[in-house]
Amino acid sequence: MQRSTTLESLPTGRSAQREVIERARQALGTIILGKDEQISLAIACLLARGHLLIEDLPGLGKTMLAQALARVLGLSFRRIQFTSDLLPADIIGVSVFRQESGEFEFQPGPVFSQLILADEVNRATPKAQSALLEAMEEQQVSVDGSTRELPTPFFVVATQNPGDQIGTFPLPESQLDRFLMRVEIGYPNEESERELIAGEDRRSMLREIEAVTGPEMLIALQEVVREVPVKDALISYVQALVRHTRESADIDIGLSPRGAQALVAAARAYAYVENHSGVYPDDVQAVFASVAGHRLKPAGSTRFRSPAELCQHVLDSVAIP
Amino acid sequence: MSRPRGTDGSLLTSLPWTLSALIVAMAPHIPFIPIWITVIFVGCVVWRYVIERRRGVLPSPWLRGALALGCFLGVLATYSSVSGVGPGSALLAVMAALKLLETRKRRDQFVLLFLSIFLVMSSLLREQFLWSLPYLVVSMLIIMSAWLRMSAGESQTARQSFMTGGRLLLYAAPLAIAMWIFFPRLSTPFWAVPIDTSRATTGLSDTMSPGDISELSMSDEVAFRVSFEGDVPAARDRYWRGLVLTRFNGRTWSGREPSISRSSREQVQPLGERVDYEVTLEPTRQQWVFALDMPYAWSLSRTFMGPQQQLARTTPIDQRIAYKASSYTDFRVETDLSSMYRNWYSELPSGSNPRTAELAREMRAAAGSDQAFVNAVLQKLHEEEYYYTLEPPPLGRNPVDRFLFDTRRGFCEHYASAFSVLMRSVNIPTRIVLGYHGGELNPMGGHLIVRQSDAHAWTEIWLDGIGWHRVDPTAAVAPERIEMSASDAALDGIGEAWGFAAPSRLLHQMTLTWDALNAKWNDWILGYGPETQNSFLKWLGMEDPTWRKMMLTLVGLVVGLIMLISVLLMSRYRPPAKDEAAILYQRFVKRLGQTPDTGETAQVFALRVRESGRVQAAMVDEITDAYLDARYGNGGDEAFARLKEAVGAMR
Repeated sequence: MQRSTTLESLPTGRSAQREVIERARQALGTIILGKDEQISLAIACLLARGHLLIEDLPGLGKTMLAQALARVLGLSFRRIQFTSDLLPADIIGVSVFRQESGEFEFQPGPVFSQLILADEVNRATPKAQSALLEAMEEQQVSVDGSTRELPTPFFVVATQNPGDQIGTFPLPESQLDRFLMRVEIGYPNEESERELIAGEDRRSMLREIEAVTGPEMLIALQEVVREVPVKDALISYVQALVRHTRESADIDIGLSPRGAQALVAAARAYAYVENHSGVYPDDVQAVFASVAGHRLKPAGSTRFRSPAELCQHVLDSVAIP
Repeated sequence: MSRPRGTDGSLLTSLPWTLSALIVAMAPHIPFIPIWITVIFVGCVVWRYVIERRRGVLPSPWLRGALALGCFLGVLATYSSVSGVGPGSALLAVMAALKLLETRKRRDQFVLLFLSIFLVMSSLLREQFLWSLPYLVVSMLIIMSAWLRMSAGESQTARQSFMTGGRLLLYAAPLAIAMWIFFPRLSTPFWAVPIDTSRATTGLSDTMSPGDISELSMSDEVAFRVSFEGDVPAARDRYWRGLVLTRFNGRTWSGREPSISRSSREQVQPLGERVDYEVTLEPTRQQWVFALDMPYAWSLSRTFMGPQQQLARTTPIDQRIAYKASSYTDFRVETDLSSMYRNWYSELPSGSNPRTAELAREMRAAAGSDQAFVNAVLQKLHEEEYYYTLEPPPLGRNPVDRFLFDTRRGFCEHYASAFSVLMRSVNIPTRIVLGYHGGELNPMGGHLIVRQSDAHAWTEIWLDGIGWHRVDPTAAVAPERIEMSASDAALDGIGEAWGFAAPSRLLHQMTLTWDALNAKWNDWILGYGPETQNSFLKWLGMEDPTWRKMMLTLVGLVVGLIMLISVLLMSRYRPPAKDEAAILYQRFVKRLGQTPDTGETAQVFALRVRESGRVQAAMVDEITDAYLDARYGNGGDEAFARLKEAVGAMR
């Protein structure tokens, strides 16, 4: 499945790395129409070594985005459909007794892939959920007493359908924290939708799409992203934002220090995607809703209908120092 | 439902600090205040802490009121007064403890910390020791830390509070030293601290009743310290004259209130070498001033020589004092004594101690002359079985008879008394001198320590042609008592008895070192009075230090030091690096006449500005890019230069 990139074709150097990002954005943009922001966020999330939670109604291209990401970035991809009868072994793998050798052999589960789509993660039992979340946290799994490393890069895209209420197990706040970002895709705009309806079948397009890069390049990019400068002025801004979330009457539980770290990490990656020479306040604002949205607990009396609205309000009330 | 007296545990972090501050401030008072106050204090501390732990309820105002009234009356009953150091600090301590029971908010804790500082200060009104200052510093450090702990709350760790407290004290130290040196010392204090007269003091009593009870304490407390300007006189010459007892009622010797007579000093006829020395006398609450026998000159004010050549001050010695004195160990006193005085000094109650009187008359007849008689008596004491002991048996009626003929055991008072009665029985004028003898030379400080255990009694007899002549009958019985000091003798005894001479020697060495330190501390720190201040300031180069000059110097120094400390602090304070890019960008915004909204980023703002169409889009982009690159990116100086140029070009 993985379309390996040979070493010779691996672009090197700063401009080449930028080139990869641009080409990936473009390629993704041809499949998922009119969602440039979500594409950039997804790439940034990956570059920041975070995991992505996509939350939206069915049919808005959640799965498509995950598959396209894997294709374009040349990562090995597995999809795990979370159902209420999913067992941890279905995710991690299982040891099978081989008659001929007389030994147990480990059959790796779908989690041993570079990009995993955990589809409808809230349909599975907490037990199965935590098997995945543990793998995400540790980047390794323990089976039958031995620890097995997961591949690198390791990127989980989980989807969650907020409309489903019956028979689901929504992820608790503490586990939502494992996802660097939560994005909503939303309906396409009119023009994009028209093209979607009229145009080629996205699935066949997906099969034809070429990988623009491979895992080695991604690892290199993840390293480069860490070096995007974060200046004092920006830290002051992040602190002001975080402080506001803790003091605001609209928010019960504000951002934790880990939340603030996540915000900076995501902003770094986003700044890189946006080709900024450092992390600008714009980058922080761009990732704020997706990083903070699922980490904040709005007050019961809040007048905001969605986390996104609440986050926008926070951004609008904190002056940039 | 609201519970007004309930605690919510909000003080749980700062309360232990406040309690520690209070305990530290309270500790020095504990030995001096009645035990029930300590019990109440500890009880309140524990009670308050438990209430906070359990989120309990504070006692009702009625209970608190009753407790406060009870404690007030208790103090009043204990001291029969509420003013003065003792009752005052007891009241302060008990009220601070009760204040705990209504401590609900931070404000109450501030009051408690204020009280702690008062408690610390009031402990200084009592005696001060070498460790008083370090203890004071530590207590202040704890109080300051508690204070910071409370006001800083969660924003500071305990360690940081401690460090900040220490720093604040360090800043205050130069000011304190300057004030200590230059604040004018007055010979009469501004306010009189009522002295705790109820406290028993060691020292010599005004009367002497050998045989009643053993009043000789082996207390190691220092009576006074002496530093000699020249050589230290030999141990046998080191008689420190105190008071003189002249009247005997058969049982008790007593003196007469010293009446000041200028002629008594003129009676002293110095012979031989003069000895100059300085005495640092611990407070005795009595008026006797001790000097080497026989004092001739002294520097202490309001001090006169009594008719029996005893030195006395018109006011009791309530504070540690230092004075210079000169004495002659070789002297003649009052070679001429009128017959009236001779009779007065030979008076004995009739019928008392008959056996002694009888013995005296026999011996006098056998001796032939007064001098021979004295020698015969001393020889008798020396040769017959008389013992020197600090625990003599009680003597009852006719104590001298019983002592001389039956018990034959006693210390200096017994021998002095018996000798005097023997002398007076044959009409030789005799008086008893109370004072100290010997003293231990501290090799560390080079000074002599005279302790309460060196207290001594000896006699003076008047002989025709010689005048008053010192005779120490104890020397005849226990010459080593005179050659060595009492503590030396005792120490040897202990060491031999227990077979560990070395450790006690080592201990002794340590004691001496400690004493040397104490002596220096007393001389320089505690004894820093008007005279020392005067001479120290002169040494510092201040000519003729007057009150005015001192105050001016002090004000100047304090202002100067505060400024110096402020400058030091300010120079260490690093303001956040001036964000020049931000300043330039502000200039750009100002010139645009449009302001970004709250939370509007430079890029969004640039977009809005461009849309308004009033300015060149390229210029806005250039400035925005340069600004972002300089301030947030790694554009550095180059980006800043671009920004500067672009903003500068804007018109």
